[in-house]
Amino acid sequence: MEKTLKKEKFNSLITGLKDQGYKTIAPKKDSNLVMLDEVQSADEIHLDHVQTNNSIKEFFLPKTEKILSYRIEKNKVSMEEPEGFAVKTVVFGSRPCDAASLPIMDKVFNWDCTDKFWVQRREATTIVTIACDKCDNYCFCTSVGLAPDSKEGSDVLLTKVSDDEYLVETVTEKGEKLVESLGTVFTPADNPGTETLNRQVATVENKFEIEKVKPWLDENFVHKVWAEFSTKCIGCGACTFVCPTCHCFDIVDECTMSKGDRVKNWDGCQFKMFTLHTSGHNPRSTQDQRWRQRIMHKFKYYVEKFDSILCVGCGRCSRVCPADMNISEMLEIIATEESQPVNKE
Amino acid sequence: MENIYKPYLMNISDMIDEAPGVRTFRLNFLNEDEGKNFQFQAGQFALYSVFGYGESTFCIASSPTRKDYIECTFRQAGRVTNALSELNVGDTIGFRGPYGNVFPIEEWEGKNLVFVAGGIALPPLRCVIWNCLDLRDKYKNITIVYGAKTVADLVYKHELKEWNARDDVNLVTTVDPGGETPDWSGKVGFVPTVVEQTAPSSEDTIAIVCGPPIMIKFTLPVLEKLGFKQEKVYTTLESRMKCGLGKCGRCNIGCTYVCKDGPVFTAEEISKMPDEF
Repeated sequence: MEKTLKKEKFNSLITGLKDQGYKTIAPKKDSNLVMLDEVQSADEIHLDHVQTNNSIKEFFLPKTEKILSYRIEKNKVSMEEPEGFAVKTVVFGSRPCDAASLPIMDKVFNWDCTDKFWVQRREATTIVTIACDKCDNYCFCTSVGLAPDSKEGSDVLLTKVSDDEYLVETVTEKGEKLVESLGTVFTPADNPGTETLNRQVATVENKFEIEKVKPWLDENFVHKVWAEFSTKCIGCGACTFVCPTCHCFDIVDECTMSKGDRVKNWDGCQFKMFTLHTSGHNPRSTQDQRWRQRIMHKFKYYVEKFDSILCVGCGRCSRVCPADMNISEMLEIIATEESQPVNKE
Repeated sequence: MENIYKPYLMNISDMIDEAPGVRTFRLNFLNEDEGKNFQFQAGQFALYSVFGYGESTFCIASSPTRKDYIECTFRQAGRVTNALSELNVGDTIGFRGPYGNVFPIEEWEGKNLVFVAGGIALPPLRCVIWNCLDLRDKYKNITIVYGAKTVADLVYKHELKEWNARDDVNLVTTVDPGGETPDWSGKVGFVPTVVEQTAPSSEDTIAIVCGPPIMIKFTLPVLEKLGFKQEKVYTTLESRMKCGLGKCGRCNIGCTYVCKDGPVFTAEEISKMPDEF
């Protein structure tokens, strides 16, 4: 039977999850930011926003995570594996674009060999998404094949149907089990049924034709647009950190003399050090090469390797960019160039 | 579930200083079972770690035909290799691998081989050279052209002598002009020039080239001029790497991931890659 979730039941929802041993992540106000973060009560949940400032990825690929501990005694080394990193979790109220990033990222962490840190966290987590009832000019999910109410990657999708009620759609078995386990937190939908409910879903304008992007990238590794567009890039890498699909990481040792951890840290292709060889040689020594790498990786390389675009159109990279670089503007230029080349040298 | 980032623990059982700042370690698995089950092929690489300092990527420099140990040769250059060079026989290091693709030495059977290496790039070829020498009957003529900046910079000096003494190996050594000593009996000149003078006929011959980018850049056209088809010329690339497993996202040249699709490529494959080496 179709169900709805009333806002007044948020309290029992969070309590119910707590009782079942779940850690709950939800959008939470943090000074002037809205961050996905652990919440203890429904009062902390903030839903009046377009997009959380952080993406969902840190709950699966933390900014820094231990992948090994070691101890050195005299010259004997012993290693210990981290445990307990995959905690039973519900992410409540993330956006459909964030949810959609997860099956895309599953591909890189599962292909060839499995990164258990990603996979086990994925298995332990249930995603309850809330469809977007508003958007801003940075949003471009519809241009990359998604929508403000996409179900990709969600276990449960909630859609606002009135100021205090959400329609509940279970997407996966995991989602179904969660909804079932919470029992009366959810209300059976009134007759005559959900089709009459007024789903409040934002309209996200389509900004470029995605099918034009890869053909252009295939032909234009060398093109003046790369340097022209990226002149203002300061290489801060903020775009890669807020991105739900940027997954590049570094591996470093953090230690005292006798013990330490080997940790995986977020890294980003916009940093000069990212590809710097010990010899001093750098295959991507200029910022336009690094900007090209970001676009190419997302819209060509990943597509060829994994048959997915490595972008969900959340727009965070452009919102956060201190130099006001806008990825969808770049993609608009590319799609336009593909149709009617004017900049070709 | 297995932790793909967990290294094997290896004991440094021997070491030799090859050249200023260049050292070879002989490594043995601390866990004998891991050692017994470990297999690799010529051309593959690994991540070597000093606990507390991190991991560094370089090739396995010994041949898979020598099953009792693994050897690696490194130049003291960065944080990890400096820490490695502080270690002694009996110390423990971490080792993750083998990763990457291999030299197709079975396809080369019955052919002539010419190996061309410059400087610290002999170690990746040493693995496949010994592999082929240990299966000597399977290959026709074997030529090795090896050059370094100076006589002192030549690595594996003892093995160069050994190869020189063999009548089934044609070894040509060279040093850059100015790098020779009074008693130097090898050639003086840059590798591409020496290759042009000494390379065997390209007929039925495979060329395997490894060296600094500048050497590769000038050697490939020489080989082409000598009639080597691009698909008969092999090289092994290096890139900054962190995972070695196609996940950390930095070693790609266009769509090609050096860690998974390489490090071994033919000159033909390289010619199709974007210019981002």
